[in-house]
Parts: sequence; structure tokens; C-alpha cells
Amino acid sequence: MSNSMKQAVQRALVVAGLCVAGTGLAVAHHSYTTFDMQGQKVISGTVKKFDWTNPHSWLWLEAPNEQGVMETWGIEGMSPNYLARRGWSRSTLKPGDKISVTFHPLKNGDKGGSFVSAKRDTGEVLGMTGAITDP
Amino acid sequence: MQSTNRIVIGFLAGSLGFNAIGTAQKVTHAAPTAADWAALAKLPDLTGVWEVGLGGGGGAAAGGGRGAAPAAPAAAGRGAAPTPAPPAAGRGRGGAQGRGGPSLTPAYAAKAASPALNGDQSANCLPPGLPGIMSQPYPLEILMTPGKVTIISEAYTQVRHIYTDGRPLPADPDPTFFGTSIGRWEDGVLVIESVGFAEVPRGLSFPFSDKLRIVERLRLTDPDTLTIETTLIDPEALTMPYSMGSRTLRRHRNWTLAEYICEENNRNFVDQEGKAGVRLANPLASPK
Repeated sequence: MSNSMKQAVQRALVVAGLCVAGTGLAVAHHSYTTFDMQGQKVISGTVKKFDWTNPHSWLWLEAPNEQGVMETWGIEGMSPNYLARRGWSRSTLKPGDKISVTFHPLKNGDKGGSFVSAKRDTGEVLGMTGAITDP
Repeated sequence: MQSTNRIVIGFLAGSLGFNAIGTAQKVTHAAPTAADWAALAKLPDLTGVWEVGLGGGGGAAAGGGRGAAPAAPAAAGRGAAPTPAPPAAGRGRGGAQGRGGPSLTPAYAAKAASPALNGDQSANCLPPGLPGIMSQPYPLEILMTPGKVTIISEAYTQVRHIYTDGRPLPADPDPTFFGTSIGRWEDGVLVIESVGFAEVPRGLSFPFSDKLRIVERLRLTDPDTLTIETTLIDPEALTMPYSMGSRTLRRHRNWTLAEYICEENNRNFVDQEGKAGVRLANPLASPK
């Protein structure tokens, strides 16, 4: 399989992974009691930084609030170890990327949450908890 | 193989400038021979990187007190709680209890009812002890060398040392996260016995005593499928052995383990009162 084909397949699988996104996080590092796992919030903005780090990836998103003032949101995701076997890399999300992110918000009202999915302007949807793509 | 691992015990007199009379025991193992390596090649090959599947045999994935393992009684307020069952009740196959939950002795059932049971310290980057470390959503790598099986957990970058050189379990082990482990082969099955467990979160939702012994049976069921059956034996806490069931692992010959340094960018925490939180400050301070 050519590299481009491989990438296409991986992208398809990342999208397919959304079928199970949000239905069962594989809990390794902590419980999810700090997040409102029943609630979801969607924010559209610009990727400021994507931390490809353990124990969690962190997506930092800049978005305007209702008054038009720019705010930074921190969205916790699965670890690079977990994501790399599911079609992600450290450059899947890059600074400057325009995305809308769906997440379970922090219960305490801080500007953060637990990643559910991200959608690009192109319509491409990214999930984190899909099937393993690396045989 | 094991028989050639001659153990030489010497005594080293403590004589480093002080008058204190002390003796330190030094154990030296003979170097493995070609015959030892050849004997190893005849055993079932468990080596390689294994994707850990769902199922029993490891308790909750998280190191905390909640999760897949059966809930503690009433206080936890969830489903089928283990109860101080009469000794004859609920006996499963081979005398080990099945999925109904652990059968706690009255004293430990009372302990389980107290709310302060094993906080979610994994949020502070402490790895879960055995058996929880075996059921993280990250692969395990198994190495086999003469006299030893080594299990590397990608989660938290942890290592278990299982001695298969015929040594006995220690009578008075130091309590540790993974215990002290020995292994032996029984009809192609690697049986690992571990003792000496510290009071750390280990994915169990019931209390255990310092008599806890964990038995794991590792069996290849086809060339790239491994099952691990885990049984807990604790004469003080459990009225009978508690079988956690069997977990299935799949070998990926082309996988390698990745680094997992939990302290790298940990923004989760649990404070001294057991309250969990997330630190969002200084996003640009993340290391990469």
C-alpha cells in the first residue's frame, strides 16, 4: 500500500472511530469525575498549541467569547501512546488550524474539558477512541 | 535450565572503617549457558508486545478504587456488592469464586464499607499496583531470559520481575506496588505467584491484607493470543479465593513500546482530601 493510500485509510479509520467516541474512554490515568461527562460543549476557534505529551495530550484552542474577547481553552485528550496507534500523530492538529471542538466541560466552570471530537472546516471529523489502525 | 543456575552464597564482612559488626549477604548467580538458552527456546514463546484486551484479570483500568472490579458493599452504593457470605456459598469452579464478586470476611466487609478506600492517586502519577497495572489501555511487553520473565508496562513505564529460577517466595517480603514474584511452568502455562503488597491503589475495590497472594496463569491459546487468568487469595480478607476471570491479549509483532513519562505534562491531581482537579495554568509551559 502506498503511503498516501495508507494515510487515506488511516484518516477513514480515525473518522470511523467516532462511532465509539465518547461512549467509553479507556481510563488509565484518572477518573473523569471533574468533567461533566453527560454534558457537551462546542467551541470553534484556532489551534494555539497541541501538546503531544503524557499522560494526556492537551489541545489549546483560542476562541472569542460572547463579548468577542479571545479566550484560551484547554482540552484534555488521550495520550500520544494511545493516539499513535489510532492514526494520529503530533502534527494531526497544528497551530493555526481552524476547528470546532466538542468536549465534556469541566464541572467547575474553568475553560477546559475532555475531548470528544473535532471538526475541520473541510468537514473532516477527528475522534480519539477508535479502533487500532496499526496492525 | 533452572538447575544450572547455581546459587553461591557468600558472606561479606562489614569492615568499612567502623567497629560495627555487620554481615551483608551476597547472592551470586551463575552466568546462563548455551544449554540454558536452548532450554528457553523449548518453552511457549510469550515474548513480544501485547495489546491488552478487555475482560477480567486485572480489575479496574484506573489505579483508583472504582472500576471494573466488583464494588465494595453498601457505602459504594453500586450493584452487586460483596457480602460476608457463608463459607459454603457461591463456590465456583476450582473453589474460586466467579463473577459474583469477592466474598469478604466480616472484618474486611466492615473495612470496605468505610469511604476512604484507595483514592485515585494515579491522577498524581503513581502507577497502580498489581493487578491493576496489567489492565491499563496500553500494551505490555514480555521478555524471557534464563531464570526470569520480565513484563514491561508501557503505562507509567513500569517493570515487573518474575523469577523462574526455582527460588522460593520470600517469607517476609517488603510491601511493594507489584509484590515479589516467582514463576513456574505447568504444562505450558506460566504460573506467576506474587506476595508482599503495599497499601496502594491496585484497581481493587475491596480491602486486602498483608497475606494477599496473587496467582496469574499465562496461557497461549493460539500463536498470537495470550490469556491471563488472575486469582486473589487472602485468608484474612477473603473467605475463598477470588477469581477475577480471564483477560485476552493480542500479540503485535511489529509494535514497539512507546515512552510514557507521567510527570511530563500531568495537569490532573487529587488533593489530600481526595478531591480531584485539573490545572489549566500556563499552557505554553508544557514541555513539547
